[in-house]
Amino acid sequence: MPKLEDKMIEIKESKKISKRIHTLREKVLRAKPSVCTERAKFYTSVYKEHEDKPVIIRRAFALQKTLKEMTIFIDDGELIVGNHSSQLRAAPIFPEYAVDWLPEEMDDLDKRPGDAFFITEQHKQELLEIADWWKGKVLYDKGRALMTQELRDIHDTAIIKATGNLTSGDAHIAVDFIKILETGLSGYLEEIKSYAGEVKGYNQEGIRKAQFYDALTIGIQSMSAFIKRYADQAKYLAKQEQDPGRTRELETIADNCTHISEKPPVNFHQALQLTFFIQLVLQIESNGHSVSLGRMDQYLYPFYKQDILTGNITDDQAVELFENTWIKLLSINKIRPWAHTRFSAGGPLYQNVTIGGQTTEGMDAVNDLSYLILDSVGNMKLTQPNLSVRFHKNISDAFLMRCLKVITKGFGMPAFNNDEIVIPELIKLGVEKEDAYNYSAIGCIEIAVPGKWGYRCTGMSFLNLMRVFLAALYDGLDTRSGKTFHKGIGHFNNFNSYEDLFKAWKHQIKYYTRKTVEIDTAVDTALEENVPDILCSAFVDSCIERGKTIKEGGSKYDFISGLQVGIANLGNSLAAIKKLVFEEEKLSKEDLLEAIENDFTGEKAERIQQMLLNFAPKYGNDNDYVDQLLVDAYMEFINELRHYHTTRHGKGPIGCQYYAGTSSISANVPSGSVVPATPDGRKAFTPVAEGSSPTSGTDTKGPTAVFKSVSKLPTDRIMGGVLLNQKLSPASIRNDSDKKKLISIIRTFFADLKGWHIQYNIVSRETLLAAQEDPEKYRDLIVRVAGYSAFFTTLSPDTQNDIIARTEHFL
Amino acid sequence: MIFNIQRYSIHDGEGIRTIVFFKGCPLRCKWCSNPESQTYGLSLMYDHRICKNFGDCIQKGKPAIKFTNEGLSIDRANIKNKEEFRDICLSKALTVIGEDLSAVELLKEIEKDKLFYQQSGGGVTLSGGEPLSQNGSVTYFLDELKKNKIHTSVETTLHVTWNQIKRCLGRIDCFLVDLKHTEKSKFRDYTEGDLELVMTNLKKLNELREHIIIRIPVIPGFNHTLEEMKGIINLSASLQSVDEIHFIPYHTLGSEKYKMLGMDYPYSNHKAISDTELTPYLEFAKLKGLNAKIGG
Repeated sequence: MPKLEDKMIEIKESKKISKRIHTLREKVLRAKPSVCTERAKFYTSVYKEHEDKPVIIRRAFALQKTLKEMTIFIDDGELIVGNHSSQLRAAPIFPEYAVDWLPEEMDDLDKRPGDAFFITEQHKQELLEIADWWKGKVLYDKGRALMTQELRDIHDTAIIKATGNLTSGDAHIAVDFIKILETGLSGYLEEIKSYAGEVKGYNQEGIRKAQFYDALTIGIQSMSAFIKRYADQAKYLAKQEQDPGRTRELETIADNCTHISEKPPVNFHQALQLTFFIQLVLQIESNGHSVSLGRMDQYLYPFYKQDILTGNITDDQAVELFENTWIKLLSINKIRPWAHTRFSAGGPLYQNVTIGGQTTEGMDAVNDLSYLILDSVGNMKLTQPNLSVRFHKNISDAFLMRCLKVITKGFGMPAFNNDEIVIPELIKLGVEKEDAYNYSAIGCIEIAVPGKWGYRCTGMSFLNLMRVFLAALYDGLDTRSGKTFHKGIGHFNNFNSYEDLFKAWKHQIKYYTRKTVEIDTAVDTALEENVPDILCSAFVDSCIERGKTIKEGGSKYDFISGLQVGIANLGNSLAAIKKLVFEEEKLSKEDLLEAIENDFTGEKAERIQQMLLNFAPKYGNDNDYVDQLLVDAYMEFINELRHYHTTRHGKGPIGCQYYAGTSSISANVPSGSVVPATPDGRKAFTPVAEGSSPTSGTDTKGPTAVFKSVSKLPTDRIMGGVLLNQKLSPASIRNDSDKKKLISIIRTFFADLKGWHIQYNIVSRETLLAAQEDPEKYRDLIVRVAGYSAFFTTLSPDTQNDIIARTEHFL
Repeated sequence: MIFNIQRYSIHDGEGIRTIVFFKGCPLRCKWCSNPESQTYGLSLMYDHRICKNFGDCIQKGKPAIKFTNEGLSIDRANIKNKEEFRDICLSKALTVIGEDLSAVELLKEIEKDKLFYQQSGGGVTLSGGEPLSQNGSVTYFLDELKKNKIHTSVETTLHVTWNQIKRCLGRIDCFLVDLKHTEKSKFRDYTEGDLELVMTNLKKLNELREHIIIRIPVIPGFNHTLEEMKGIINLSASLQSVDEIHFIPYHTLGSEKYKMLGMDYPYSNHKAISDTELTPYLEFAKLKGLNAKIGG
């Protein structure tokens, strides 16, 4: 393989953190998460006052009132402004999505084992009143009401979970920052006006469109007004300020805000400020997470280049502005019901920034800004943004080396996505070439084309594969709930061959696949009818043109995926049964079931557990036997998915299809907590395997074997993400030679094996154990949980233990 | 006989490598960290920490295996056929170390990482034990590797006959030679071996201009002084075929394995050597014009 020429210009590493940034960073890290009731009060009062109005108008007014009246502040020293709620890291409440959990959980918010929130008695009182009014009116209730009893039962027994989608809404999207920076907010108003002018009021569609355009106009105007409030605040502060340096900064902030409140930005600072405001307001409008920033190194580059050429900015200044922005991203906070929190431990908002990749012409897109973003994220070592690097075969070793330097800081970033599989597969799905080359990571690891894709390229319902598998053994009976949702083709004890087992799996998985789509359809219908996003729709192509929200079919593309949890356990269970029961006949069917039912307690069952663990091949070791069984079983799910469409089908977007997805965040812990013992030797209610990674402790042949196993999965069909988490000990990448070897295997994994994604946790086991003992001292210790990073000490003990247990590869 | 195949090894030669560990060694270095590699036959290893007391091994092995107050007692000398114990222990607390694999079987395992060797310039390293002291099948195995265009390194003590080396020549791309000491009596006291044999072989390899990398295990109480190290470094620097030298600091990771094999560890009282203690050696080796590294 020819050695690639290293990037000619090596950007000098920016390591120094300014005093201002240091102070702001400390402040946000120290800020205690709390609850802010302002948004809830504004939304409630507007919903009450405008009950007669169409929901989209009500939401426009509510957003308007919030942006107009919410507390705003500019912190000492900050250069990028904008706040999410009345206090740093206070989480606003989104009552229209779900409220029942509030009275139930509010007294325990500060006592949660992970992701605790501080709440005052006064706020509790306010929220009780608010919750009272919303009872029965919220998304959660309406979504559940759209489900049949059968679906509700399946949902309640946790075979399929969609709680997060109903309590926090959509997002998982990146908007069209290229267009926003090009036209400015006033450009949008003009565009909306021109389309609104063509609306035909004499048909139903026309009436809906007119409402939509009215809402959009209110939304954009409110946003302009919101930005102007910061201009006023900065002017006010500048007058009070004694320090002439800071006065000038405040005046710049005021000028920036005044300008971008309507017009497109003219320099880098303004472009970044507008980007942040968009990011911020989208997360005031919607309770969804994974609102992502797309390819920042690409769309900000023209502004940077122009400022560098004119001497308007230095690299150090650009880095400082980025650092300030990352701190601002962390200042945004969300609170979720405990049931959902467990699935996404560490309170992440998954605000993804993507760098690298290729230009539309297929050239290496890494530029100076890619380096500056990488360095600034490395300097900050925060959980936000979630930084992703797009790998492609011509990416330079110099850039990858720089990525590894950041990775070795041990906070799990950046993660890598792979152009070599994503781009060709997107094109096959019908995505235009230019768009395919412009994809970015969204949230954790999933991908979409920014500004052209609908919500949730992944993140629909969670399917618990092992519950389905157990139902296949028990003739359809879900032993956990005692219910038979789908009568099987027989009981395991009566199966004569592995083929019988596989048939039973096929029978069950087809049914549950359909049920995931049915649940998604109910959820999507409720989301479309009850919580349409105004601004988010405005910033996604082609909503304005079609006069539709994203959920109504406004986006150019629409491909989504749910999450399938327990991938490795499925393969390992199949292999154990095939080998030990049917081939070698070392284990009888009756004994296996009895052992599972006894959760492997008692000597007989314990012996069986050891046999299952030690005498059957395990996924993650490059063993074709087990890897192929897993692929066959997973393909049954994937093939069944082909029969279904999203609710937007026939309404405009290209696609409207499902694909598979495995970026199951920290769901492997709660998903495992509802699964009895399984034939792979796993004890009842312990975590199942995470993402597409092997089961903890079973991948004994090292990282290359893991790569080989993972790459055997049908990655071209799992476009919702093939999440692979590898943990390395710091000792294994001590010097440049070690790092070069790591780069080399990453290249093989991506360029030759067409791997989909990889991310690294480089924290020693000792450090993690120490942090468990002494959380105060390790307040800023960040670990990679799944597709994102979280502060280790905020995680619940269960999740902490799960992370510690993941195999650590000594290279 | 093989006792381990380790994929993704990055500290034992160029690029990403798979190491094949051969069982059996002519030396008995007191500090040896792979005691399971010493004998040429099968070994029984027992890890009490994961033992579930199922008792299957006792059924099979009595009276040589029995429970005592201190846990399982294994009288290894009185177990005739160790192979019978291979799949006896369900929890793998008791394992049989050593497996005869054919060259074809080995090659199949090695080819699994071929893409990684190609990208990184890696390949296979034969280690041990002493790989060159194996029977002629090693030559055949090396032939197969070369036929498949896989880079080969051999980690060796050179404590073998010249014939055992000669039959492998032309099939080994790089010799990683353990050079432990330059003083005959000390070498004998600590390894039970003959330094003369090592030196003669090393000189012949040097004359043949084979690619040689010297690897020095830095062992407390044995060669961990600047004076002794200088001797080894000077000797290495005098060989035209050597331009690279690795210092491998003593570690204690092997001590648990002695217990598991029912062996005494002569070096149980020594502490691991830190990288910083090697700095003077590195500097001296560099002064002598050698490319010096810690580890591989």
